[in-house]
Amino acid sequence: MRSHFKREIPFMSVRYIMFAISAILLVLSIVGIAYKGLNFGIEFQGGTSIDFRNTAAVSTEEMRTILAEQGEQAAVIQTTLSEDNPGFLVRTTETDPNAASALAKAVSDKLELPEDSYTVTTIGPGWGADVTKSSLIAFMVAIGLIIIWIAIRFEFKMSLTGILSLFHDLLILVGVYAWTGRDVTPNVIAALLTIMGYSLYDTVVVFHRINENAKNAEFAKNKTFLEIANKSLNEVFVRTINTSLTSLVPVLAMLFFGGETLKDFAFALSLGLILGSYSSIGIATPLYSIWKSIEPEWKKVAQRLENKQKKQEKNLGTHV
Amino acid sequence: MADKTNSSRQARSSRAVEPKRHKITMVVLLIILVLCAVAFTPIGEKITQGLDLQGGVSVIMSASKPDGSEVSAEEMSQATAIVENRVNSLGASEATVQKSGATSILVQIPGATNPEEALETIGRTGFLEFVDIDVINALNVGTPNLELKQGTYEAFMTGGNIENVSIGQESQGSPYYAVNLRLDAEGSQIFKQKTAELAPLKGRIAIVLDGVINSAPTVQNVIPDGRVSITGGYSVEGAQQMKTILDSGSLPVNLNYSESRVVGPTLGQASLQQGLIAIAVGFAIVIIYLFIFYQGLGILTMGSLAVFAIVYLGILAALSQMGVFALSLPGIAGIVLTIGMAADSSILVLERFREELRMGHSIKTAAANGARHGIGTSIDADIVSLVSALSLFFIAVGPVKGFGLTLALGILCDIVTMFLFKLPALNLLAHFAIPKHPKFWGIASDVAEGKEKKMDIRRSRRA
Repeated sequence: MRSHFKREIPFMSVRYIMFAISAILLVLSIVGIAYKGLNFGIEFQGGTSIDFRNTAAVSTEEMRTILAEQGEQAAVIQTTLSEDNPGFLVRTTETDPNAASALAKAVSDKLELPEDSYTVTTIGPGWGADVTKSSLIAFMVAIGLIIIWIAIRFEFKMSLTGILSLFHDLLILVGVYAWTGRDVTPNVIAALLTIMGYSLYDTVVVFHRINENAKNAEFAKNKTFLEIANKSLNEVFVRTINTSLTSLVPVLAMLFFGGETLKDFAFALSLGLILGSYSSIGIATPLYSIWKSIEPEWKKVAQRLENKQKKQEKNLGTHV
Repeated sequence: MADKTNSSRQARSSRAVEPKRHKITMVVLLIILVLCAVAFTPIGEKITQGLDLQGGVSVIMSASKPDGSEVSAEEMSQATAIVENRVNSLGASEATVQKSGATSILVQIPGATNPEEALETIGRTGFLEFVDIDVINALNVGTPNLELKQGTYEAFMTGGNIENVSIGQESQGSPYYAVNLRLDAEGSQIFKQKTAELAPLKGRIAIVLDGVINSAPTVQNVIPDGRVSITGGYSVEGAQQMKTILDSGSLPVNLNYSESRVVGPTLGQASLQQGLIAIAVGFAIVIIYLFIFYQGLGILTMGSLAVFAIVYLGILAALSQMGVFALSLPGIAGIVLTIGMAADSSILVLERFREELRMGHSIKTAAANGARHGIGTSIDADIVSLVSALSLFFIAVGPVKGFGLTLALGILCDIVTMFLFKLPALNLLAHFAIPKHPKFWGIASDVAEGKEKKMDIRRSRRA
């Protein structure tokens, strides 16, 4: 198959449309975060999560009644599906593993489920604080190191626009978690962190190509910076698509076939991959190109080309 | 003009790299692959499975002092040993107890059949008291395991006064064992007084753990120096059990549950299966897609993924055997993500190769340049991911560490695969196979475009 498109895709011409889409998404995310807030998993605040599998025809109502009979009134009950077998994810505020495991056993006995059809995870209250702290530190350290590395390795304007697009991705992702009400767990944080690095790098690959082309006199002849950027984007577009697809496909497989833990990772990973690829093209590259375009050197080029075009139009006009 | 000198220099450098060197690399790779394959077969046994896949009970206990002061390393080792004793009393042969971090203890009991009992035993508070029999004379103290009602008796000493517990033979050559206690100054004083009181009467001291009479040995002599020896025809096991109880009672720190996971064994295996299906499906679709996209060169990407997988499994098996790795669900997520990364480095190399062809370079030159530049970019990408993976592994707590570890290992395997397989394989193919069937290898259109471009340059130069 061809590695490039015959016709150039005009990414840069639609840059304001892409900005507008991102702006809407960002506003929606902020509204979601402010209005709905985030659900943090039991790992962060302590509590119990019981994963019942193969519960056959048991309904959510039945589950709620049985839990209430065991003295657990305020449990959050979710239905799950793994390999076509229905199940439940029950979350309570219980922090004593003995009580939690007794509750799981009691419910399982009541429902006459097979011997070991549940998983119980209990997190103590103090531990949640530790997990939160260490996740935050890991996140900060990793993002910090990546930013430093990009800043050292590449031009300042690249680092800054790259990082801006990174925060764009992060904010939208957090917004999705707010609107969908999905739990934010340490797994989600780990997944996001990984994808952030990955997509930041994707951006840098594009930047690299833009710079290479801008320095190439023959290539850059009679082109504004935006035109060079657009052509460069087109050159690496197939790579971006292929890379995103080959990363996305296994992750989607995990989303479809995996149980709760794997789905947790897969949801964040797939969203992050899609957003990361989009923001390299839709946010980072246009921002960087616009910033470069207002440098005196490139401004002059644009001015000259514009004058030339006007002249041509004028000439055409006189001919007619 | 600049273009021409550039290309001729590149052509020279590619000629300098003899195919012989690539062949040697391939032989080295083959040896490594065989070693890896030996290391990981049979795969089910060689790669250790974590508790979430095997099923069982996994508990993290955190230690703290009642007065909020810092827990010392010595107290931690003592607490770990005590927890180990409790776990051993469950009779789970494969259980492991290890210190994790400064103040946590990780307990893993694979395949625990009775998680309720395990949790109860591990978390037992272990409050030990010594009670004068007279105080509870209303009860038949000869019966062990008798539960005492709280508030009906008063202890003269608690486990807190015990400094050290050890076991040893009652006397040289004796088949029986004694449990020896060393008491602190206060305890010694109390014990001296009490035994002086009880010895003449052959009175008994009840050892009460968590309100249950464990045993009630008779006082034989006055014990003035705080060195107590409890005898009574104990076997090694019996003495050991007694030591455990005394140790539990003298636990220097409070142990609280931080995290507890109970996974049913069949559920764990079901999760593993789901993970394996995701990996297999992911691999298969990626390979098929790359075949459709790159045609003959898809063989190269498939080969890369195969080499990657074998080296990866080899490393995981080796680390499992060393006891430092166990595959967990987050670990599987890490593996799934590395499939994409391994494919990415192939894509980078092949895209660069075809681009060089379109620029009009010869197949050999394009291969040499493509591999070099593609690998350079891949390594940059890998470093970024490695930073994330290692931060998670070293800083984060909990199961997410497993994700960081498999991710980091996958990235290392990717780098190994680049140098030992992609680089030599692409160059060798460019020498011996690709020029003969450009259509099969999916590069005919790129070569045609390169020729056209060269012609253009020549034409413009003539003009």
